[in-house]
Amino acid sequence: MSTMNRLGIAALVIAVLAWAVWRWTAPPRVTDTSGLVRADSASVGFKAARLYFAAPSGDSLVSETREMMEVQNLHERMAALIGELDRGPTAVGVAVVPAGTALLHVYLDDRGTMTLDLSRAFQQGFRGGSTAEALAIGSLARTVADNVPEVKRVLITCGGAPLATLGGHLALDRPIEISSLP
Amino acid sequence: MDPARGGRAARFLALVAALVALSFHARTPARSQPPDAARVHQSDELSWIGANDLARLLAATKFWRHDVRKLVLRTGEHRLQFTADNPFVLIDDRTVLLPADVRSERGELQIPVAVLDLLPRDSTVARLFHDRGRGVVLRVPAAGLVGTPKMAIEGASTSLVFQAEHSEDVAVRSRSRAHFQLHFAGVFVGALPDSLPLESLVESIRTVPAASGTTLELSIAAAARGFRITRELEERRVTLTLTGEARADHESFAPEGPPGARRVRVVALDPGHGGSDAGVTVEGAVEKELTLTLARLLRAEITRRLAARVVLVRETDEALSMDERAERANRAHADLVLSLHFDGLPGATARGVTAYCPPATYGSETRVPGGRTALVLLPWRDAATRHAVVSREVAERILAAIDLRVPGPSRLREVLPYTLLGVNAPALMLECATLTSPADRARVTSAQGLTELATAIVDGLEAFQATP
Repeated sequence: MSTMNRLGIAALVIAVLAWAVWRWTAPPRVTDTSGLVRADSASVGFKAARLYFAAPSGDSLVSETREMMEVQNLHERMAALIGELDRGPTAVGVAVVPAGTALLHVYLDDRGTMTLDLSRAFQQGFRGGSTAEALAIGSLARTVADNVPEVKRVLITCGGAPLATLGGHLALDRPIEISSLP
Repeated sequence: MDPARGGRAARFLALVAALVALSFHARTPARSQPPDAARVHQSDELSWIGANDLARLLAATKFWRHDVRKLVLRTGEHRLQFTADNPFVLIDDRTVLLPADVRSERGELQIPVAVLDLLPRDSTVARLFHDRGRGVVLRVPAAGLVGTPKMAIEGASTSLVFQAEHSEDVAVRSRSRAHFQLHFAGVFVGALPDSLPLESLVESIRTVPAASGTTLELSIAAAARGFRITRELEERRVTLTLTGEARADHESFAPEGPPGARRVRVVALDPGHGGSDAGVTVEGAVEKELTLTLARLLRAEITRRLAARVVLVRETDEALSMDERAERANRAHADLVLSLHFDGLPGATARGVTAYCPPATYGSETRVPGGRTALVLLPWRDAATRHAVVSREVAERILAAIDLRVPGPSRLREVLPYTLLGVNAPALMLECATLTSPADRARVTSAQGLTELATAIVDGLEAFQATP
């Protein structure tokens, strides 16, 4: 090995050692993790949400619990829940809400009727028969009602307009009574 | 190492561990338990509940402080703080003692169920109830609890008295004698009798699944002429009185059609979908084509075996609105309307047959307090509910006949489907098979399979016609 090579290797070792010493002695970068570490004094918390999907047999709905970041605003909460339904189940269920469905607007009146205005993908992306239709509506209605106890019935609209039916088998012109769902 | 730096590293690792734990928890498969309940387990002669279940039932937000092993639950205006291996709980600004230490097991704090008695009692906190018999903790809905019914028989009347915390929320879901349904908004925590006295007008009573509250289904004796619901708000009591006599202050059951044999002289068959609406389409099986083929097969079979006139709502591949379909069926003065469909549920293993018939929500005479008769207005869209009892009879006969010839399962749902809005006759929508099931699809796309299905449906109609 030539002298030049030896000098090069030594310079490289010194440079690495110098970088290590500098990293060790340099003042730490300030990273604010207080929101996550200092517990309830901060605004970040997790809340269990219950989501409903179709049972693989298609006979009923199955539910699963998912931890979600807490949000106070009703629109954000509903949007997050519908987003999770769109992501699909992590356990044994089958996603039945048409892919790409998103919340446009939500309104909850003082008699417990929640109006969910969904994106056009809800109607345009629907495939299936009456069972798929009943389960899609049940999945949505039971998920919102389970996570917002004030909800007694759900009216679904699409793109800001009334929706008579999703797939031609079940009527959506009236609010769906949660207690009438199986 | 600088102690401060070591502390930061430890906190960082704890934070990562906490996030990983939360992420893992989020992917844990759901346990089989009702949404508003959580199982408790027994240990050291105490009942215990998991902290995650407790937080879920309280709708609480969780904050985990790993450094001091404290879990804070925030619900409504209140704050609960649990510490691992410590029996003291901080509830708002008071410290209370549990009968045992809070334990940490399998990555989750376990809390003695005795904590339920210590929770704040106000409207911002969910009310929890330890149902020892079933070994669960229930979240009591705003409508409260419903207790065991007590029966009283006096002469021609039978009364069932329910303790219900919010008696104003009770509703009759179905007026059919065979399937009379009473819905309570509260949760049923009582017990139902295994057998009932022979002289009772109630022949059986059972719970049926409902998304919220409690639905009880009663089978009412044919001798019953009417019913009355009495709500006593202060006593928190609901009384269902059935009478065997015609009384002005009682409501009527759903119409059951004239007594004697059922006569089917005109049948309207409505092949679902058509035109630009193909319905369910799976690997060459097209719903609109199958429904039309099946309708033609049924027309031949019904004409031959029942000597009834058959009207097809659509004879060609045309798109019809629901109003047009209902109008054509009504104009035929049909004794029975069958809306024919084939089901589909992508991504699932679903298969079989489903019948939808209108719910028995209509009563021809509805009375108001004081014995006056209330005017019953029925929207035209719901006209089929006038024929709910007969519709269900037809559906049960057809499904029973299909079960004998075709692999199941078969299902009956009491929901007024969109396809029967405005139909004024006994009617049902029949999902004759599930096209997304390879076995069902192979069967109904063969000429033999479809003929067998048509034969089974007409078997059911024949049995219905023979009903005394």
